[in-house]
Amino acid sequence: MLSRVAESIFWMARYMERTNRMLRMMHTKYISSQDEVTDFSWNSVLQTYSDLKEEEYTLIEKDSSKVLEHLVIDRENSFSVINNITRARENARSVQDHITKEVWQCLNEYYHLIREPNIQYNLQHGDPVTSLDALIRHGMLYNGTVDITMAREESFNFLNIGRFLSRAIITIDLLNIKLKEYNYELEKYAEDATWRFLLYSLSGYELYLKTNRGRLHSELVIQHVLYNTDFPHSLLYSMVRLNRYFERLKTESIPENYKQLEFLIGRCYNNIRYSKVSGNSDMLKKFLQQTRTELFEIASLFNKFYFGNT
Amino acid sequence: MDEHALLKNYHEHPEVWDEMFGNADIRSHYKNFVGAIENLSPEEMTRKDEQAKKLFMTQGITFTVYSSGEGIEKIFPFDVVPRIIKADEWLHIEEGIKQRLKALNIFLSDIYHQQFIVKDGIIPARLIYSCPNFLREMVNVDVPFEIYTHISGVDLIRDHDGRFYVLEDNLRTPSGVSYMLENRSMTYRIFPDLIPKNNVLPVKDYPDRLLKNLLSLSNRQKSNPTVVLLTPGMFNSAYFEHTTLARMMGIELVEGRDLVVDNHHVFMKTTRGLQKVDVIYRRVDDNFIDPLVFQPDSMLGVPGIYWAYRKGNVAIVNAMGNGVADDKAVYAYVPDMIRYYLNEEPILKNVPTYQLADADNRKMVFANMNRMVIKKTNESGGYGMLIGSAATEEQMDEFKKAIGEDPRSFIAQPIINLSSAPCYINGELQPRRVDLRPYALYGPEGVDIVPGGLTRVALREGSLVVNSSQGGGSKDTWVLGN
Repeated sequence: MLSRVAESIFWMARYMERTNRMLRMMHTKYISSQDEVTDFSWNSVLQTYSDLKEEEYTLIEKDSSKVLEHLVIDRENSFSVINNITRARENARSVQDHITKEVWQCLNEYYHLIREPNIQYNLQHGDPVTSLDALIRHGMLYNGTVDITMAREESFNFLNIGRFLSRAIITIDLLNIKLKEYNYELEKYAEDATWRFLLYSLSGYELYLKTNRGRLHSELVIQHVLYNTDFPHSLLYSMVRLNRYFERLKTESIPENYKQLEFLIGRCYNNIRYSKVSGNSDMLKKFLQQTRTELFEIASLFNKFYFGNT
Repeated sequence: MDEHALLKNYHEHPEVWDEMFGNADIRSHYKNFVGAIENLSPEEMTRKDEQAKKLFMTQGITFTVYSSGEGIEKIFPFDVVPRIIKADEWLHIEEGIKQRLKALNIFLSDIYHQQFIVKDGIIPARLIYSCPNFLREMVNVDVPFEIYTHISGVDLIRDHDGRFYVLEDNLRTPSGVSYMLENRSMTYRIFPDLIPKNNVLPVKDYPDRLLKNLLSLSNRQKSNPTVVLLTPGMFNSAYFEHTTLARMMGIELVEGRDLVVDNHHVFMKTTRGLQKVDVIYRRVDDNFIDPLVFQPDSMLGVPGIYWAYRKGNVAIVNAMGNGVADDKAVYAYVPDMIRYYLNEEPILKNVPTYQLADADNRKMVFANMNRMVIKKTNESGGYGMLIGSAATEEQMDEFKKAIGEDPRSFIAQPIINLSSAPCYINGELQPRRVDLRPYALYGPEGVDIVPGGLTRVALREGSLVVNSSQGGGSKDTWVLGN
């Protein structure tokens, strides 16, 4: 497979994973803002998903419709959903012969969907949930289309490597956003009801309830988000899958390159697998930071060895 | 014809051949189709029209116009009413194109080798050497199977007498074949069952036939040679076509930056290292293909590819240097080529062409400018063209001045009244001018033409220009079986 093609597919998948998770997170966050929370603010989200300066985003952080407009349809914000979708589509467009026609058409429709006036109207003036629901549904359609139409060959491997790499990073980011909201005071907020919003954002609330019999506690939530391999958005699950799709590249790779990446991915996986951090907030903060750095190292090695960007 | 609501305002032009009407009646090969749509209400037709637009948009069959940073998607306007060609007419066209391509191909081989046609005084040497598309770099290059024109898109028009004329041969990198294929699949959706009922010949074999030809060009003794399609990239207006063809043939779509040349062999950069390339179907123009030999600042080509080609290590489709046969002044000599090389009379006529390098011609053309089309010899796409009947005095003076400065670069042709075909516009059928571009494939086993082609329409009323860059659209083209 051409290096350029592998890179485009990898990035297409990364942008789509971001898109889906951001939408779900905003959906949850918006609903929680309507839920009698006093002093509600989008501050921690804007810190992560906006390129505005602090003095700029503090001006809008309490105005949900402005924030949603900024995060979803503002082209000036390079992290916005519309920019993610546009970039995913541009990447798909240049590799149309390596993804299925269905995947390309799905992304193309997604792009036209988010530009529809009623989506934009509802976000700004009507009911944002309607718009977010429509976008989320289309995101699920994309995932289904990928799974059901793409051949299980090299392009599918790169697609999934991109997908699970991004998923791992986003899970860390969303956990970080939550921790920032609690100011890293885990003990004080150990039984806080808003932990459930993190689980909603990661589509993992129902599984959590079943696993923990309804008890909401920070330690259990963190345990769930980091280590539960039955939960498709947990950090460990993402790493297991990333590793699995990487291993499938073995026969298609230059052996020395494969070895170097294998080492890095193996180390990162084991660092997560054999860590134990859920109770201590300092350790947790450090752990998340270190894992995030390692994930970026993995991304840059792919860039070097598989995408030909030295 | 008054009883059909859709047809009540369909007016024929006395000096124009209409594809559907003749002698105040519907021509026999259109009757079946008209019978199927005449009872449709205007709402139903409009719904079909809108459905077609929507399908084009969601399938991404668009070309992108870039302005202010964000691409604007435009669809190539599609008219839902197919253009229908009778079986015997098609056989005539097919035969004519085969004959023409055979002669043109011998001409290219001759002109880049011994040049008998020049030595025998059929074509003046001055004409060849003054043509900017004559590539000295191609002289004495032996191309595989002596085929230069693997793919051509011959533009045909029909005059008021109902005869087909060749307007251009398009031997370089003709585009539009994907629209031929997509238009057909659009018709399946809009008019279910009509295609089998009318015994329309299929066009879907085109990619298979093209791939077969490409594979046969490989120089390596290998069961599965690597064939790639070289595109200028996603910003090219024909990018949709490049991806469609690559996908349909199952070959790799590459850009210049994906290829490297090492020791006169071409390789592509893959996740597994370098992989050798045997055949390149390129959609990059001659000028841009190798910055070391042609335009030095080209980013679209591959440095060193020319020498790999010259040494026979890679096959390039179409061959470089075909532009000399596409030159509009050389075009005037194609009938002579057919007589000279094949000893046959041309089956398809040329449009009469006056070279303006000749002083007498110039005088005659200037005197009758309002009945002439003036064209630059090396432009295409409807650019560099003056239609005398629609031009202002100022425009004519401008052209006269330009011609005076460089007469070799201009030719004149009498205005041909392109035939008209019905189009669905504003809730009724209206006649609009059309041309026809069938696609011919020239492989080691001969010339092969898929029954059909691209019918381009001048959607503006009274306009004669069908190019998409000038407000043209297209229709599905049906060739009926016997």
